[in-house]
Amino acid sequence: MASVIFENVNKWFGKTKVLHNINLEIEESEFVVLVGPSGCGKSTTLRLLAGLEDITEGKIYINDKMVNFLEPQHRNIAMVFQNYALYPHKNVQENIIFGLKRAKASKDLIESRLDKASKMLQLQDLLDRKPAQLSGGQRQRVAMGRAIVRDADVFLYDEPLSNLDAKLRSQMRYEIRRIHREYQTTSIYVTHDQVEAMTLGDRVVVMRDGFIEQEGSPMDLYLKPKNIFVATFIGAPSMNILDAILYPGYIELEDQKLPLDKHLVKESIPPAGKKVKFGIRPDFFQDEQHASGSESLTTLKNVRIDIIEPLGYDRELNLQLGNQNLKARLDLRTAVKEGETINLCFDMNRAHIFDIETEKNLTL
Amino acid sequence: MNRKRSLLQNIFLTLAILTVLFFCLFPFIQILSTSLKHQFDWGNPSLIPVKFNFNAYKELLGFVGSTEEQIPQTIKKLLDNPLITKEQREKILSKYISTSDVFPFPRFFLNTFLLSSSAASISLALAVFGAYAFSRLRFGGRTIIQRSTLFVYMVGGVMLMVPLYQMSVKVGLAKTVWGSLFSLLLIYIIQTLPVSLYMLGNYFRTIPYSIEEAATTDGCSRIQSIFLIIIPLSVPMLVTVFVYCFIIAWNEFLFASVFLKQYHNFHTLPLALQSLFVSKNAIWDRIMAASMLTLIPVVICFLFVMRHLSGGLAEGGVKE
Repeated sequence: MASVIFENVNKWFGKTKVLHNINLEIEESEFVVLVGPSGCGKSTTLRLLAGLEDITEGKIYINDKMVNFLEPQHRNIAMVFQNYALYPHKNVQENIIFGLKRAKASKDLIESRLDKASKMLQLQDLLDRKPAQLSGGQRQRVAMGRAIVRDADVFLYDEPLSNLDAKLRSQMRYEIRRIHREYQTTSIYVTHDQVEAMTLGDRVVVMRDGFIEQEGSPMDLYLKPKNIFVATFIGAPSMNILDAILYPGYIELEDQKLPLDKHLVKESIPPAGKKVKFGIRPDFFQDEQHASGSESLTTLKNVRIDIIEPLGYDRELNLQLGNQNLKARLDLRTAVKEGETINLCFDMNRAHIFDIETEKNLTL
Repeated sequence: MNRKRSLLQNIFLTLAILTVLFFCLFPFIQILSTSLKHQFDWGNPSLIPVKFNFNAYKELLGFVGSTEEQIPQTIKKLLDNPLITKEQREKILSKYISTSDVFPFPRFFLNTFLLSSSAASISLALAVFGAYAFSRLRFGGRTIIQRSTLFVYMVGGVMLMVPLYQMSVKVGLAKTVWGSLFSLLLIYIIQTLPVSLYMLGNYFRTIPYSIEEAATTDGCSRIQSIFLIIIPLSVPMLVTVFVYCFIIAWNEFLFASVFLKQYHNFHTLPLALQSLFVSKNAIWDRIMAASMLTLIPVVICFLFVMRHLSGGLAEGGVKE
């Protein structure tokens, strides 16, 4: 277990700057997820920590020890790769204990660790197989086994689940959670999948174009996104962002005036109005007919239903308000047909208003 | 794709394949056939000998001793004289044992084998590290160095023959037999290295780098990951490259003829065969038998490579 600190880390690939001033402190036993679209620098950040890439500027500490010039094999980290990166010529058991053997661990220790890991990952029956004889999920479990048998200071996961199908993915998410609860090793997990980020992370770091956009607990990011990027990246289906005009006391959305507590927006609003982006999550909409009366709700009237996607308990409605598209997730009580209109209620305190220029959240 | 061929097409295809095969294999059949014929049979165009004759093989492989010449009766009497020392007796005898016809095949075979296998081993060892550097390390001038090694391969041996010999004379290597052998070894290594580097380099590039990264995070240094990961994964290619170098050195004639001309005992097989070919009384069955025996290691190597090339060792480690 160890703490990890990134201090003003910059990374250039030739003439391209891929990481801008990364500052990040990760506490002992914390599970931190780096999330962002491809090319945002999250994998590079991880590889810098692993020592697989050189740091251009800045410092990285593991356990208060600067590791900038330490070779990967001396950093005591364990990494799980996206493509598994198993040793094809070794069987499962040899793959798992390879690192322990390198570290010259005693035979008893190797055996007990192997035993525990293979039980935890249900690999007992596969120990003699070669990687080529395993399914994708099994291979990834071997890769994970290889990491957990080592007494590593930090676990690094580089998109470990992106090669698996959806069902396996959720099962492996659960395994990773269990591993972390069991071993309590500081973990850094890179993914582009916001579901993995939300479900796994104690803390989530959202990155874009080499910058850290926002970091915080999953619910923090979900409820209080700092800008449009974070708002739309976190949460599925993603937040509706609509053109609107903000006036003191109300917001005008496609000619519908929706009352607004003036304290919601922190800066002063010009009486002539201000063009803004209005953000509301599809999950926060309710069908007016089934809305409970206890909350103070705002109603968006006459929204046209374009396409209905039934998902079982939920149904996702693709809607049109004037010329703007939006989505709503309603439960199965809502019996509507495509082409009809619907009145949607929501709690204005759950909505966000973003500056049209800076894309910053004005309600924070 | 799976369209059925008509009978006519099938016949045509089979004939075409047989023709090509025949062209490739006929010389070898001819060698085999001649090596098994008696002298009276040499002119016979039939491939099957009238009477099989294994004497040439027996002689080459040392099953039959050198033929003793008829020793005149008077000399025999002389030798029986107890006053003659052992040395003197041998001296006299040697005059009556013809050495001109003796062809020490096992010795030439061993010469060639030792030279070829050491050249191939050293070339392979150098190529592993060179090819690793070319395919994995980032350093200035990598492309230039990589291309210039291939350049060596484009220059024909004949052009380099004289300058290389001059060099080895100047350095003083050509003076002794071991020096000459050493020069020859160096030349074989240098001649085979470009292609070994090229073949191995391309193979190493197919091994996903992330496997090595995994090894480094598992505590391996770069050298360790070469020995523990890269080399075990490249065994089929290493065998192929070794055999390739081995065969090149095994069949090499030009440089051997220059460097080893004066050292008859150290001749390699191609050189020895050549002297058989140009000898005054060409004994065809022996020449062909020697050729046949020279071919055998090459064929064995080839079969060995065929066996190994089919297995892809690096499969299964990563998701492509």
